[in-house]
Amino acid sequence: MNGAALLFHSYRRVRALLLGAGALLAGFQLLLCLAAKAMHELNAFGQLTSLIPDFLRQLMGPSLISLMSFGGIVAVGYFHIAVMGALVALAIALATEVSAEIELRFVDLILSRPLARHWLITRSVVVLICATAWLLLAMSLGTCLGLYLLAPPGSAEPTLRLVRILIFNLGALILCWGGLTLAVAAVSRRRSAAGSAAGFLALATYLFDYIAQVWKPAAKIAWLFPFHYYNALRLLTTSDLPLREIRVLLCFAGAGIAVAYILFSRRDL
Amino acid sequence: MSPDDAAGPAIEIRSLSKRFRRLVAVDNLSLEVARGEIFGFLGLNGAGKTTTIRLLLDLLRPDGGEASIMGWNCRRQGLEARSRIGYLPGELGLYADLTGQQLLDLSAGLSGREVRPDTVADLLQRLEFHKSDLHRRLREYSTGMKRKLGLIQAFQSDPPLLILDEPTEGLDPLMQESFYKLLFDLRDKGRTVFMSSHVLSEVERVCDRIGLIRKGRLVLFSSVDEIRKLAARTVRVIFDSDVLTSPHPLPQGYEVIDFTPRAWTVRASGPMGDLVQRLAGLPVKDLEVSDARLEEILMRYFREDEPR
Repeated sequence: MNGAALLFHSYRRVRALLLGAGALLAGFQLLLCLAAKAMHELNAFGQLTSLIPDFLRQLMGPSLISLMSFGGIVAVGYFHIAVMGALVALAIALATEVSAEIELRFVDLILSRPLARHWLITRSVVVLICATAWLLLAMSLGTCLGLYLLAPPGSAEPTLRLVRILIFNLGALILCWGGLTLAVAAVSRRRSAAGSAAGFLALATYLFDYIAQVWKPAAKIAWLFPFHYYNALRLLTTSDLPLREIRVLLCFAGAGIAVAYILFSRRDL
Repeated sequence: MSPDDAAGPAIEIRSLSKRFRRLVAVDNLSLEVARGEIFGFLGLNGAGKTTTIRLLLDLLRPDGGEASIMGWNCRRQGLEARSRIGYLPGELGLYADLTGQQLLDLSAGLSGREVRPDTVADLLQRLEFHKSDLHRRLREYSTGMKRKLGLIQAFQSDPPLLILDEPTEGLDPLMQESFYKLLFDLRDKGRTVFMSSHVLSEVERVCDRIGLIRKGRLVLFSSVDEIRKLAARTVRVIFDSDVLTSPHPLPQGYEVIDFTPRAWTVRASGPMGDLVQRLAGLPVKDLEVSDARLEEILMRYFREDEPR
């Protein structure tokens, strides 16, 4: 009962944000379908491919062909940097709720009640999982609706399997950043400090992973960082469920959550 | 003694210590608060009052010692201990976008105790809090309204122990009166109140016993009546005609503050019999005895490095 009250409180606080973000992301998927339809009708995929510089073609390899299609453009909604950035930022915002409660001293009100400390972390984990599921559901609904309304006949639509694979892998990535952020938030006194530390880490590792694709020395240690385990371009060509990648990302998330539980149970609030 | 044993103290603190790096916030603190009393926990800013309270609530982890509430250890049996507490923080951290009702609902949901609508209605009425205000967002509340809401959330589940950190901060004098009456009613119902304060007049008026903390150490622990008895009273002796002899020497326990041929002013810390004997034979017209104010005594404890 006590934990449920806290969970309901958090849900009430974030529902408007999540509804808005879900609508925005679903709308983005619809827009991508619209853009892909326009390109398909203009037969612009070939022209677009010719505009891509050589080094980028080499970097993208065979996935370029998959990308420069109706289905490829629609799938961009699952790995566009703006989408990934928004989702990771949302995960960070949700996972830092605990440090916001400490900063505001709201935690005094909550934990002066018969509520075990771990509930603050458990609450954040539940909110994180539900929010991730909702956002990905909204995105996939946007894609399905877009395909249903806008897919031109004869176009190479992304298969349901591909969308599902992208969703699973992306979901694991979001949970990974949520878990890692929770570990940071569990020892922070300020939401801004926890959020900026996690945000900086996400940005740095994203850039590092980007560099690792073109610079071999960096590639040797790229496996240490979460973005290495979400290679959407490769998924476009293989359409295999990346179980190993998902497992690794969930292990990152699990480790972060476990550390958060331990650190939060020991600290002064 | 078993937990919840009615004979045991409401709060028991044994050799509690807490450091923040080099700063000793609470230093080997021991005290007991009996059930059914209003206990005033006094100290200047930074003396360690709030730290002690936060240790009781297990928000801070002690470096030494232990504390229990109604016989339940605050660390090992924290949930049991905290289920018996209503708490008003000194600094009420609230999300500004919550409404008053949402905060009360959350607080009720977390308390694990039944919240009776008539109790809430009574609190609202006593603290002159309009029900319609509960549906406003907290960002629209004044300081006093936030304080009142804080009191309502602490009292609404009618817990056996109330821990109030500077409860009247931000309340106007009329509301303070209502609050004191609320405390007296709760005491009559057998509830225990542990309140920190630095408003001495309030403590004198409301509390049965006090503990005074300075630099994390308990320097005074007594009932308000006992402290008053210990304290020196001021006696003004008025004469019918000029008395030219010096009042010195006075018996032990008396000190001359001022003297003129027509009046002596003496500080008396003890029974008055010796003074009456000393005055025998003098043309005494009247004796004015002023009781010592707790405030004056406590100020000495606040100021002195080592009180006598």
